Amino acid sequence: MLEVRNIAFSYDRRKVLRDVSFSVSPGEAVAIAGDNGAGKTTLLKILATLMAPESGAILSDGQDALSHPLRYRSQLGYMQESPALYEDMTVKSYLKYRARLKGEPDKRIRRRVGEATEICRLADVFDTMIHNLSFGQKKCVALADAMLLRPRVMLLDDVLAGLDVPMRESVGKIVSTVATFSSVIVTGHEIPDIVKWASRVLVLRNGSISSSVPAAGIARTEFAARVDKALKGGG
Amino acid sequence: MGPVRVTFRRTFGLARGLYTTALATAGFLSWSALAFAFGLEEAEGLRVELAPLWAVSLAPALPFLAAILGMDVWSDERRSGRIDVLLSSPVRERDLVFGKFLGVWAITLLNIVIALVSSLAFVRMFAPALLEDVGFVSFLPGVCALAVQGMLWCAVAVAASAWFMNSAAAATTTIALLSVIPRGAWYALVKWSGAGRSAFGDMPLDAQVFDFASGFVSTGALVSCFILAVAALLFASKAVAALRCVGRGGRGFLATTWFAVFLGAVATVLAVGLAYRLDIGLDLPLGKRAMRFSARTRDILAESRGTVTVTAFLERGDPRFRPLSHFLKALSAEADAMCGVRIGVRYVDPALDLGEAGRLDREGVRRDSLVFEHGGRIVGTLHLEDDCGERACMSVIERVSLPFRRSCVYWTKGHGEASFDDYGPFGLSNISRDLALDGYGNKTIDLTSGDAIADDCALVVVAGAKNEFSAAEMNRLRNYLEGRGGRSEGGRLLVLLDSAESGGLSTLLSEWGIRPMAASLPNARTLSGTDVVVRDFATNHVVSAPFVGQQMVLDDPVSFGESAAAESASAADRRQYSPLVGVDGTCLAAAVEWGEGGSKLALRPTRIVAVGDTGFVQNAPLRKYANANRDFFLNAVKYLSGRDVMTQSGVEPDLLVSGMDRDERTRFAICSGVAFPSAMFLLLSVLVMSRRRKA
Repeated sequence: MLEVRNIAFSYDRRKVLRDVSFSVSPGEAVAIAGDNGAGKTTLLKILATLMAPESGAILSDGQDALSHPLRYRSQLGYMQESPALYEDMTVKSYLKYRARLKGEPDKRIRRRVGEATEICRLADVFDTMIHNLSFGQKKCVALADAMLLRPRVMLLDDVLAGLDVPMRESVGKIVSTVATFSSVIVTGHEIPDIVKWASRVLVLRNGSISSSVPAAGIARTEFAARVDKALKGGG
Repeated sequence: MGPVRVTFRRTFGLARGLYTTALATAGFLSWSALAFAFGLEEAEGLRVELAPLWAVSLAPALPFLAAILGMDVWSDERRSGRIDVLLSSPVRERDLVFGKFLGVWAITLLNIVIALVSSLAFVRMFAPALLEDVGFVSFLPGVCALAVQGMLWCAVAVAASAWFMNSAAAATTTIALLSVIPRGAWYALVKWSGAGRSAFGDMPLDAQVFDFASGFVSTGALVSCFILAVAALLFASKAVAALRCVGRGGRGFLATTWFAVFLGAVATVLAVGLAYRLDIGLDLPLGKRAMRFSARTRDILAESRGTVTVTAFLERGDPRFRPLSHFLKALSAEADAMCGVRIGVRYVDPALDLGEAGRLDREGVRRDSLVFEHGGRIVGTLHLEDDCGERACMSVIERVSLPFRRSCVYWTKGHGEASFDDYGPFGLSNISRDLALDGYGNKTIDLTSGDAIADDCALVVVAGAKNEFSAAEMNRLRNYLEGRGGRSEGGRLLVLLDSAESGGLSTLLSEWGIRPMAASLPNARTLSGTDVVVRDFATNHVVSAPFVGQQMVLDDPVSFGESAAAESASAADRRQYSPLVGVDGTCLAAAVEWGEGGSKLALRPTRIVAVGDTGFVQNAPLRKYANANRDFFLNAVKYLSGRDVMTQSGVEPDLLVSGMDRDERTRFAICSGVAFPSAMFLLLSVLVMSRRRKA
């Protein structure tokens, strides 16, 4: 379980995040929505320990992530908005390289890579050079990289940005699958697609979580309507 | 598989697939090969060793290679955004930095090995004579030196790459830090500061490689390289870690990070200072001619006292400068280690140190010389074209800095001999003054008195006796020569003969193996009708060996042959008869060394030198002729008195002779410096292209 407590962050004078708190249980896929510049990416980078918060704490299974960053990162999968991969490698060699770098023992690498490839439906491009892939396929490779070692926490930044409709659905299915074993946090603007598989949507406004809309117990259309309303400031 | 190994493999593999690497490799090979070819031409016929010359040719190009290979390792990750993916992995920054550093260093080492193999191949092709005495092992210290220096350069390149997002900025900074600033500072120091020239005569970075490649390892420099490389890698990892410190929340982390960098810098400075303070010079056993000094040299350095300043009076651009500097530094370090004489080393460039060069010029010192100063005055000079290796240098140092030993030259009197205190044209006052300068006292001895010859007698000189020695006098001389009367060693006698029967000494000399002859000289080349110009000097004897190529003038000299006395000597006796100088096969001076058994011969032999003329060192001829008469006499005295350090040769470097003519040199330079690097570039480019096409 991931707990985010009172996170605050500012770029010099500009306050970006103030008192952000929420928690994500295993098996949950939480979406963070908000306007451009609301601080979604910043929040995810803080959760990925790529930035240090001004105050607040991140607890993963009760342990302070900022005090033990290496242990926390070993349970973390992070995908950034624009996939940054080694273009000179094939999908296979890239995923193997990443698994090795993350410290996976050699004997388990093949299984891990195979699993990630299967979930992300990369079998067809497994031996293809990354620079020959489409943007969507690259995003899938980055997703496979993030979920490679079955992390407990997955952070997916703008996961659907730049994808066409079939690809969004495909990625949505992947995220749903990943959410069975991880606490998933995604950001994005594609609310109609996100509400299809998100279990909760947090609306980030003025640097804090202005509303939390759960999907449990209501129809997806109703869930979408509530999220839309929350985004427009209706609470 | 650890993250270091994974990152190393990735960096190494990536570099293999880049055109940049192919270009950097070709540039490095071309630069180093052309520098080597140029160095070979400059060093032709000089005392320069091949392996250090090769290593020094590569050294200036190495920072450029490291800069280009290392410029992208971090800046590309930052530009592409992959840095976030890397930093979100459960890997320490230092592991990533170290892995990337190892990848860059491995490529650099590969380049050094390729340069070595290609250089050796082209040398074997164009100048096989150079490799006759030089094995592959001789180059290993040079490779190690370049590897150590390359390690530091690669670490700095990786650190610069971690600091800059722009590759060109990283490369430029690396080149500035590693090449432009240190070389520019050194050049400015040498150009405008006399003190700087004395302290840093040679470019320290190149000198370090040269010394190491010559087999003389400075532990201070070695440890400093390691410390600085570690510091650079620490800085790189901190620079990468600082990327997380965006925003106000990272300020505290940023402050502690840079405080750690500051502490690291302070610790580095202290550690480097300590390393140089505790510097130890090591001789590598790998090199053919590591700077190991002979036992005799070490003895002289240990026994000598005072300070001798050795000034290298030649231009820095001279190819002999670096080997000479290396030798002098090693000699000075050896002297410090032996706790005896202190040897200070200075460099005077005739083109830059005008004041000091003018002083040396006024003192009559030729350029390209080693000048030895003791007590504020010049006590010896050695010209680089002559013998100025360990043997000759130690000869000078020994002469001026050994503690004063009371030893006297005893001149016989009463038989019409020339006198050492006679200031007239036929006197020997000039030569006796030179003996006094060398630390000898001059005394007369009256053999007619019954007293024993004093213990401080270094040798007895009979300078042109005209009257017969009495039987008693002869007996005293014989007893002296045979070491009787409580003496612990055989006697030493220098005889100058004006005629074969001079003073009746021919009998005595014949007993010891030297037979004076009255025969006139056939085909004598003369200056004034009776003078004989001597050009033939025996090269196998300590007295005459230094005079090859010079000339002595003798006035109607007596000649010598070997007597039959040796045949009647007992089997236990050892005798060595040596003609020293001659004309057309006729010996005009001879030396004999004779003792009982090998040990006595080696330690306490009887020594006699006979010269067939007295006048050659009289005041008038010494003023008249600019020749070797004076030095020959002094050398004979030195030999007889036991100060014959010149017999103990040290490790003398050979001359570098490639045997290439101008056309072959050009072909060598073009093949090794242009054609081969171009071919390498094409080959690597094809490999890169094929890999990409296959992909």
